[in-house]
Amino acid sequence: MISLYVGSTSGYSGKSLVSMGLGHKFKKDGFRVGYFKPVGILPIKVNDVLTDNDAWRIYRALELKDPISEICPVVLTQELAVKGYLKDVKGLLAKIVKSYNQLSKDKDIILVGGYGSIYSGGVLGISGLKVIKRLNAKVVIVVKYEGEFCVDYILQAKKDLGDHFIGVILNKVTHEYKQGVEDYIVPFLKRKDVDILGILPHDSIVGSITIEELNDMLGGKVLCCHDRLNNLVEHFLIGAMQVDRATEYFKRTKNNAVIVGGDRADIQLSAIESGTECLVLTGELYPSEIIIARAELKDIPILVVRDDTYSVAKKLERLSVRLRLRDKAKVARSTDLVAENVNFPLFYEKLGIKPQPR
Amino acid sequence: MLNNFFSPKSIAVIGASRTPGKVGYDILKNIIQYGYEEAVYPINPEASEILGLKAYPSILNVPNEIGLAVVAVPPQRVSEVIGQCRERGISAAVIITAGFRESGSEGTKLENELVKKAKESGVRFIGPNCLGMIDTHSRVNVSFAAGMPNKGNIGFFSQSGALGIAVLDLALAEDIGFSKFISMGNKADISDEEIMQALAEDDNTKVILGYIEGVSDGRKFLEVASQVSKKKPLIILKSGITRSGAKAASSHTGALAGREAAFDAAFKQSGVIRAHSVGELFNYALAFANQPLPQGPNVAIITNSGGPGILAADASDRSDLQLVPLHKQTVGELRTFLPPVASFYNPIDILGDAGAERYEKALYAVLQDKKVHGVIVLLTPTAVIDVEAAAKAVANIANLIDKPILTSFMGRKSIEPGSKILMKYNVPNYSYPEEAVSSLNAMYHYHLWINEHDKTYPDFGGLKEKVLDIFNKVKEENRERLSESEVYEILKTYGFSQPKSLLARTSDEAVAAAKGIGYPVVMKIISPQIIHKSDIGGVRINLNSKKEVTDAFFDITTRVRHIMPTAHISGVMIQEMIRGGKEVIMGITRDAQFGHMIMFGLGGVYVEVLKDISFRIIPISQEDAHEMVRETKTFPLLRGVRGETEADIEAIEKSLLILSQLALDFPQIIEADINPLLVKKRGEGVVAVDARFAIGGD
Repeated sequence: MISLYVGSTSGYSGKSLVSMGLGHKFKKDGFRVGYFKPVGILPIKVNDVLTDNDAWRIYRALELKDPISEICPVVLTQELAVKGYLKDVKGLLAKIVKSYNQLSKDKDIILVGGYGSIYSGGVLGISGLKVIKRLNAKVVIVVKYEGEFCVDYILQAKKDLGDHFIGVILNKVTHEYKQGVEDYIVPFLKRKDVDILGILPHDSIVGSITIEELNDMLGGKVLCCHDRLNNLVEHFLIGAMQVDRATEYFKRTKNNAVIVGGDRADIQLSAIESGTECLVLTGELYPSEIIIARAELKDIPILVVRDDTYSVAKKLERLSVRLRLRDKAKVARSTDLVAENVNFPLFYEKLGIKPQPR
Repeated sequence: MLNNFFSPKSIAVIGASRTPGKVGYDILKNIIQYGYEEAVYPINPEASEILGLKAYPSILNVPNEIGLAVVAVPPQRVSEVIGQCRERGISAAVIITAGFRESGSEGTKLENELVKKAKESGVRFIGPNCLGMIDTHSRVNVSFAAGMPNKGNIGFFSQSGALGIAVLDLALAEDIGFSKFISMGNKADISDEEIMQALAEDDNTKVILGYIEGVSDGRKFLEVASQVSKKKPLIILKSGITRSGAKAASSHTGALAGREAAFDAAFKQSGVIRAHSVGELFNYALAFANQPLPQGPNVAIITNSGGPGILAADASDRSDLQLVPLHKQTVGELRTFLPPVASFYNPIDILGDAGAERYEKALYAVLQDKKVHGVIVLLTPTAVIDVEAAAKAVANIANLIDKPILTSFMGRKSIEPGSKILMKYNVPNYSYPEEAVSSLNAMYHYHLWINEHDKTYPDFGGLKEKVLDIFNKVKEENRERLSESEVYEILKTYGFSQPKSLLARTSDEAVAAAKGIGYPVVMKIISPQIIHKSDIGGVRINLNSKKEVTDAFFDITTRVRHIMPTAHISGVMIQEMIRGGKEVIMGITRDAQFGHMIMFGLGGVYVEVLKDISFRIIPISQEDAHEMVRETKTFPLLRGVRGETEADIEAIEKSLLILSQLALDFPQIIEADINPLLVKKRGEGVVAVDARFAIGGD
């Protein structure tokens, strides 16, 4: 039985995406796969059992059958965080090991999902490193590629992990970075004895968000087209220009949401006519009935939020670094992304196993 | 006051011109042709004589004393002229010249220089960028208006000169007289307030009219307008009211306020009669200038046709006037001369075949009725009526009795001679019945204003020191918003009762708190980064058990951590759930010109949609609080509908007064909302369920 820890050097690097994609591929290659998340940070109750939202989604996507209560033994709720700050919470590592043992009984590979970076977890006394050593896991590091400085973190992680470390997957490599990664980063890492197990390109569908999530994040009210809240938004545009420029600007980008003051009826209309996915009206200003009627006709949801346009934009910028795999279309896309861009022969070699076609 | 302007001993026109069509020419011409009897000195370095008067190169060359300087030289030269005025001991100037503040930064600089120079020189001035001024009694017309208004008792000041001329021209056609007209221009020195005061003291002025686009010092305006309006009717048309500035506000009160609300409140509190259009300004002026005030709200309508009578009755219904039934004796009197099919009740329909005599008798009879405070006489030009005779009849009676009579002889061509007669005998005639009604209504309001008792301002002093520390601390920490506990402390000190509340950091603490407070409870997220808790699902109500409280704790905190991962969660507030009662909102906002305003509304979550709110400028009196509550359309809901018990209205009024005191004590408050304030049954008080405060500035 192999324990594969999917970790990273910083939060929101794409660990869940990689775990999900690896899990699918392993299953396809005939392995009995399990998923385990020692520490969850997105509490959710499923049938009154406390677990982690990401773990729960991966569990379902991989069609696993293990007891839900074991897939994420420690969930960082507000409650637990407060307790952790006020005094040391004991027995958590033991709890993790117990659940892990139960899950791993009849598996070939257990994917262990890290949270935050491999160094996170101090508050509860259970950092990623500690868990990795205790479970004797092999570790693949997922890095969201945002420039050269990430190589330092990779080398540090390799050093800290020692024999546990098997290689890195560079994620979200944008078109602009691709050449530089191929020309410099890959040869450099190879020279430093770091195996590159995959390079995943940036993908706009994976980077998208449903309108419903968007509305939740912004604390807005949906005024129309409630049946369209599962539509995906890939880009955000701000409607602050003169109206004669607006239509052209909106049409240039597909699957956009337009953020605009609630009193700018002119911009709202041109956004609707140019076929935006969603209108986000700011300043708690409600649009006229004419706007709502037009939007309904074109199936475009309208959200009204309290923040001003700048604050909304600021929130959305932060949001883009912590997108979650919620939507079916996104899950399918990310599975494909991993299958196509990870070097599985090398991966299996590093894990010391061979595919077992059934 | 300002006598040098209105009755100058002599006038110099600096910048007088020989060329017809130039301002310097027209002003001089107006002075001469409208009969000013004292000396006039045209000043022009290139002319020896203009319009038959000896011209001088400069005022320094005029041998005799000069009372008023009228300045129409290019803007760059105005300061210099003011300097010369000082040398000549001239203390009053009307500056016609444009090209100052209204024209950009260069002009602004010139205007600042001008103000400085005038201050140093002790010269007071009207303008610049104005049309001039007119006094019909002293025959001074230092304006370039076309024509001279008739002598009359309406004093009119206008920020817009052009609008002023249009009104004067209209008045000429209608034979309406003015006492004074002042075009205010940029108001760089003499302000609206000074002119209002001057007109209030002017014996020739009975009614003051004003057109303003803005005020520079709201408090000063309020103070002066209140004094002036107690002496004479002050009718103002204010333009340029938009809702700008409301968008950025984060409180309900802030979002609902706006320039309109501020001016509306200011006018109400200072007894200003507000006209909403030039037409109304005119209509009101006519009524106030010519008729006595009604001593109460009861109006009788006399008409020769049904339709206009009903229109007038409908309009009365929308106003505060009352269409009272006539006294039995009056009805009996009417029966003696009206045909049996006439209507003897109010409106009194004297039928289409009525002639002048029937009008005269009916009007006389109705005016004898003690219950009737004012009469509106309507006439449509039927074939049988002699309009002029009817006008004379109405005018005769009107001048006998000290009650207001307004008429609407409807139509134009066949009405005009009658209308002229009515106007001649000081009976205002309006084209439409609604105008007569709204004018009488304005007079009734003014009657109430001047007969109002002195207002009472209850003192809730002595509380300030206790909360000063809180505001100081917030300021020291460079915060704008006050925390929940700070707001709680402040409201507590000022005597607001609030739900029992305890902060819980864990679900165990939450359960213990709920048990201590007693089920059911309300739970709210507490975080300095979260202002609108319910927007992000941070509020749960009506929680009845340990399990519900535990679950709610998990749901609320998880949701907030998810949506706002960077927000610090202080905990969850467990609060007593107040049941029953009606939700109202009250709040404070700060207007750029008038300072603190207070708002009241019936509301809860729908307040921003319904906008059923009233505003006053702080401080408010007991009477203001009383009116504020009753001004809202939904007030009957507080009284109780369909057998409900009455809400504690007195407690609302007291809360408004306390809030007003709080704003008075702390000028640094920029916004405050108590929303909702739950009003319990009469005698049981109010509870401030939720509130926010923000401070700023000094």
